[in-house]
Amino acid sequence: MDKQRIRDALGAAVTDAPTPLAAADRLCAACVQLLDVDGASISFIDGGTTQGTFGSSNQLSRTLDELQFTYGQGPCLDAVAQRRPIQAPHLNGPGEDRWPALTQAILGHGIHAIFALPVAVAGTPIGALDLYRRSSGPLDDAAMTGGVWAAGLAALPMLDLMTSDTDWQKAAHGRGSWDQLASLERVEVYQATGMIVAALEVTPADALVRLRAHAISRSLTASDVAYQILDRRLVLDADDWHETDRGQEGTT
Amino acid sequence: MSAREDDIVASFVSMSGSLAQGQDVNELLTQLAADCARLLDVSAVGLLLADPRGALHVVAASSDRVADLEAFQAQRAQGPCHTCYLDGQPVNVPDLAAAAARWPEFAAVAAKAGVASVHAVPMRLRDAIVGALNLFGATPGSLNEADLRLAQALADVATVALIQDRAAADRNLVNEQLQNALDSRVILEQAKGVLSYSGDLDMPAAYAALRQYARDHNIKLTELASALVNRAVPAALVLDHARTRDAGAA
Repeated sequence: MDKQRIRDALGAAVTDAPTPLAAADRLCAACVQLLDVDGASISFIDGGTTQGTFGSSNQLSRTLDELQFTYGQGPCLDAVAQRRPIQAPHLNGPGEDRWPALTQAILGHGIHAIFALPVAVAGTPIGALDLYRRSSGPLDDAAMTGGVWAAGLAALPMLDLMTSDTDWQKAAHGRGSWDQLASLERVEVYQATGMIVAALEVTPADALVRLRAHAISRSLTASDVAYQILDRRLVLDADDWHETDRGQEGTT
Repeated sequence: MSAREDDIVASFVSMSGSLAQGQDVNELLTQLAADCARLLDVSAVGLLLADPRGALHVVAASSDRVADLEAFQAQRAQGPCHTCYLDGQPVNVPDLAAAAARWPEFAAVAAKAGVASVHAVPMRLRDAIVGALNLFGATPGSLNEADLRLAQALADVATVALIQDRAAADRNLVNEQLQNALDSRVILEQAKGVLSYSGDLDMPAAYAALRQYARDHNIKLTELASALVNRAVPAALVLDHARTRDAGAA
């Protein structure tokens, strides 16, 4: 399958989902369908107390993902801690000694290769997409590219999981997921995220969650809301963001 | 030597010194963009770096104007800079109005910024293209051969600065360093936002306060930025320092 079709299909999997959990599950299912892998899961790891499996393509993938938390080791935890893709193409190979206990358990389920790709939000990795394969060996170029795309898209349901404020009717019927992601990855959004961090004393990821939830509730893009914040046209109260009449006095 | 040649030499000497001292890569690239705009007499310069998904991101710009930033960012997935990144060849658009049909969305955003001509040179690392250096001109016209060579030399310096590990022959390691540069740009912009909100400053003033504190305390810009956005260092500390320095200078 050509890369453009993979990209479109991955994007569509997230766009139509009714809830963040459904979006994560569908993205994992799409990975199995489109990439040369037998299972996929998405974990949420915020570095603090919250961590766990968030989406999966099937029960086995969910079990494999949860094993990493049970043993407290594994490629998805390493991918988040080291902020980079972790590849284990030969789990039963002689050189593979990174996660001894976990590796035995995973091999017991008939899986011989794992690839973990970090999922980042607001410049911070908060999770990972894991791809599992029964046969050993590296991912081919198309599958690796597709995995990186899927890990990028996984940021959207992950952001939405972090809030109960998102209006799902509007979010599901909004713009395509690639456009939504593009709207989040912009300089003005980064700057506005920092302003929310200062105003509400929250983490950057939480700040971006709130920015996105506000954008969805007003049918605006994240970029639109970011410029409102930079121009001091939005009062950033903890509960309710409202517009001021201060107008565009402009900073960037 | 002409005054311009002196200026070019001074700029390269300053950059190589900064590289040797391990100066923060974001600060170096921002300086490089500013030098490039001045040396080539163009209205704005942006350095755009590709993420692993192939989307271009602004990692440094000579201009803080919203309109310029919008025009750089409009090239995430289309535009002269994106074409340059894909093909690995310089792209010269001496008259953007005449070439608008090729990149209609970019041309509309660029027109709002008063951009009349666009040039882009690739950022090359051996056989890979990692991004592009993008030049905006306020009037139509081509850069001459010497200017294009200078632009390419500056793009090469930027790439060297990004991939600081000489042993980074491994493609994975290179990707990691590029990802770090992209992540640290995100955190730097967030830190500017923190200072801007806390001190009611505009973004250039917030950046100046950040740089001042980092310099005077011998901390890397990215480390300070990260501490600010994670609230390990209070914004007031950095803001008070900037005020004290300003008062001292006055």
